[in-house]
Amino acid sequence: MRLLSLLSWLISPVALLALWALLANAGLFPANLLIPPLEVWHSFTDLLATGELQEHLTGSLSRLALGFVVGALAGLAFGTALALSKTVEAYCAPLFHTLRQIPSIALIPMFVLLFGVDETFKIVIVAKTAFFPVALATCEGVRAIPRSHFEVAAVYRLRWTTLVGLIALPAAVPAIVTGVRVALTRAWVVLVACELLAADSGMGQMIEMGRQMLRIDVVMVGVVITGVIGFTLDFGLRRVERRFTRWQSR
Amino acid sequence: MNLKSLRGLVLPLLLLGAWEYASRQDAAGAYAFVPLAQVGAAWVEVLGSGELLVNLWASLLRTCTGLALGIVGGIGLGALMALSAPANRLIAPLFHALRQVPMLGWIPLIALCFGNGESAKLLIVSLAALYPMVLNTFESLRQVEGQHREAARVLMLSRAQQLRLILLPAALPGIAAGVLQALAFAWVTSVGSELFLSSGAGLGSLMMNAEAGARMEIIVVCVLCIGLCGYLMSWLCTLLSRRLLRWRPTR
Repeated sequence: MRLLSLLSWLISPVALLALWALLANAGLFPANLLIPPLEVWHSFTDLLATGELQEHLTGSLSRLALGFVVGALAGLAFGTALALSKTVEAYCAPLFHTLRQIPSIALIPMFVLLFGVDETFKIVIVAKTAFFPVALATCEGVRAIPRSHFEVAAVYRLRWTTLVGLIALPAAVPAIVTGVRVALTRAWVVLVACELLAADSGMGQMIEMGRQMLRIDVVMVGVVITGVIGFTLDFGLRRVERRFTRWQSR
Repeated sequence: MNLKSLRGLVLPLLLLGAWEYASRQDAAGAYAFVPLAQVGAAWVEVLGSGELLVNLWASLLRTCTGLALGIVGGIGLGALMALSAPANRLIAPLFHALRQVPMLGWIPLIALCFGNGESAKLLIVSLAALYPMVLNTFESLRQVEGQHREAARVLMLSRAQQLRLILLPAALPGIAAGVLQALAFAWVTSVGSELFLSSGAGLGSLMMNAEAGARMEIIVVCVLCIGLCGYLMSWLCTLLSRRLLRWRPTR
């Protein structure tokens, strides 16, 4: 019975695949516009065999990692400062909330002129994309720590390190992890967009080259892999999120 | 108005000062950091020539059309998935799989199928608005309280009556939250799609042309405009939904 219900989830994807294969092989559309699924699979294995795919993937993922670590760490530090210090809030909050309104995508042309089309521009834009959600979530997470927790800590005369490690961090971390997850998936989207517009390597560039050379199969492989990576990043962090929120009573 | 409330202005002014300073250093600086006076002149220029308004209007119109299509389609699809288990079985796996692909990743594929005209852009914007609408409609219909469902059963309401009298009103706040999300996605995607398919009018096309001509001042004007419009639209949307949902008892 369990197997049956599992199988029923597969009905529509399999049906779509079959329809696609049928239409492509029927020859209703030109063969270079509607590629049969099998051929897309072949170009996937080809790209794997030549190492081209791995090269683009490493390029994209290393950019993502570098930019994200920089942006998220800065966001973590800034968010904490914003939550704890009234002075920081008074000086920085208005600017922070104004800049937060500007979508990263809209900044691409500006950053290209400022930093050129090289690596710097992509890493800066990934860092910018990661910074704002992480900073916002950290600020809210830290602010949401109940005051009573600190009072209990004061009654027990806990040391400062214990206070942070045992009370403040567990209370704030779930919100922060959510912020990190949102930031990571957004950063991935923006990075692929940047590579589509200007890059010499990376998943986005692979897709864009495929488009210019009318290799729809390459475009499709790229789109699917981009989706799989986005899903994996999101799924992985959701697991982490669940781990950190497990102790909370519901 | 005391001095303390002006503290928030210190940092922005310092940044503007640094920008102006960088623009006066050398030719390379002036290339990337245009002097502030030039940005002001660019505002006058693009407003005066009507360039800004034409492109802004095109972007806004596309956002609104795409948003409307996405909202209607999203509510329909979400309601179908929430109310019918077989439909959910069939649609959900495909929907969640397709949702994983970044919106802008679709652009090359859609451009190959639909060209790079208005219809391709409109499709992308509607899709961007569709996802949050489906998710929010589905969730909020699923979360209608059991008490309400029981009351409907006791009163022996027909299925259409249940939907009209119980489910839809209960789900409205969730759907309104979905519209707010969809609006933000639609606006970003609209501008983003213009960056990639920079044919026709739109703020993104204006920016790409300015980038090609290295006219930083016009890009700055566009970025400010995009941020401001996005903020204004979501503000209007919040006001509107608060007003329309006034009848709802707040807990």
